Amino acid sequence: MPLYLLLVLVIGGISLIAVLLHRLGKSHKAVLNAQSASHAWTRHFPDDEVRGVIVAQDGHAALVETDQGPGLLWSFGADTVGRHLQGYHLTKAPDHLTVIFADFSAPRVTVHLNNDERTLWQQKLAPA
Amino acid sequence: MTDTLNFPDVTQLAVPFFITAILAELGWIVWKGKGGRYETRDAVTSLIMGAGSVASGILLGFLAWGFFMWLWALTPLDLGSSIGVIILCFVLDDLRYYWVHRFGHRVRWVWASHVNHHSSQHYNLTTALRQTWTGTFSLVMLVRAPLVLLGFHPAIILLVGGINLIYQFWIHTEAIDKMPRWFEAVMNTPSHHRVHHGRNARYLDVNYAGVFIIWDKMFGTFVPEQDHDRPDYGLVHNLGTFNPLRVAFHEWLGLIRDATQPGLTLPERLKYAFAPPGYSHDASRDTSAIIKARHLARHPSERDTPGFQ
Repeated sequence: MPLYLLLVLVIGGISLIAVLLHRLGKSHKAVLNAQSASHAWTRHFPDDEVRGVIVAQDGHAALVETDQGPGLLWSFGADTVGRHLQGYHLTKAPDHLTVIFADFSAPRVTVHLNNDERTLWQQKLAPA
Repeated sequence: MTDTLNFPDVTQLAVPFFITAILAELGWIVWKGKGGRYETRDAVTSLIMGAGSVASGILLGFLAWGFFMWLWALTPLDLGSSIGVIILCFVLDDLRYYWVHRFGHRVRWVWASHVNHHSSQHYNLTTALRQTWTGTFSLVMLVRAPLVLLGFHPAIILLVGGINLIYQFWIHTEAIDKMPRWFEAVMNTPSHHRVHHGRNARYLDVNYAGVFIIWDKMFGTFVPEQDHDRPDYGLVHNLGTFNPLRVAFHEWLGLIRDATQPGLTLPERLKYAFAPPGYSHDASRDTSAIIKARHLARHPSERDTPGFQ
């Protein structure tokens, strides 16, 4: 197959599928509540015992207290990803916090917070 | 001896079929409201990984080809290019695929290349295209050497390898539950391969087959899909990035970091490269064997059930 035709097919195909998926509403992020966040954490870390969950008001992130220490769970497309809060640092902005992990496979998470929840999250996320 | 045998690159020719089939699967899911899940960024990442894999093949394919042609010049055997020889090569190459794939899950050096294929939490036809960019570096091409030395022309070997990959495309779907019983008994199917993509403890390191599931049955790695334990797709530690560069290289970087950390003995460094994924010198991580053992400790009633025998 000529290279130009292959390029047209690949670029055109990816673009078509991306636009179609977006227009079909397949770009929505997972929305968490306390129960689904707890369930999702246990899915990622089946050995952990979840002791408490604080879900951000936008539903896209949750702080999870476990017997193995605190963790952060966040929406990852329609799914979730979690990491224990070890080896990270925090940057702050007026409407969000960014958790930067020392993890090439999960480099950073931006958590959008309103004024009411911001202080609590900053305290919980402050590295020990 | 045949030197100038040429076949088209069937995986490139299949690109229009891949796109059409993905659109058909998506349409089916939207129409029926079941049969799988799609998410935009996940699907786009998978498709870019597929495009990158094709590009990697175009750019680096000459290395494998040169190696095979060097072997071809050495071997006194030439089985020709009859249909029977091509079919025989297809079957033997599928056996080769089984072992390469098994190494891909049991040897971290090879897993570093293969891991990205398992990095989606979705299981649809785009997942099939989430292919490695670094296969050349894993050196699994060496496992094809016996086929060349036995007298199969390198062009035939690449042809049947391409057909093997195309076969595996359609089994990455939840839209098909089960195929007829005779087919499930012999061939790799969506059901068998869903199991392979499961991160459930039960489903770790099983169902390595490419086309014929009989290899797993022969070598004791077959686990049938369980209705009460549906596959949960993805990695034991799922990725938190859609960035294709991070998807492609994260495990290589982890391997290098692990193997070069200070204070390790040489055997420990080698184990970080060649032991099963999850190895750590301080037992701070879990291999699939440990994950299964821990699962059984939490669920002892599942002992001696499929995947825990």
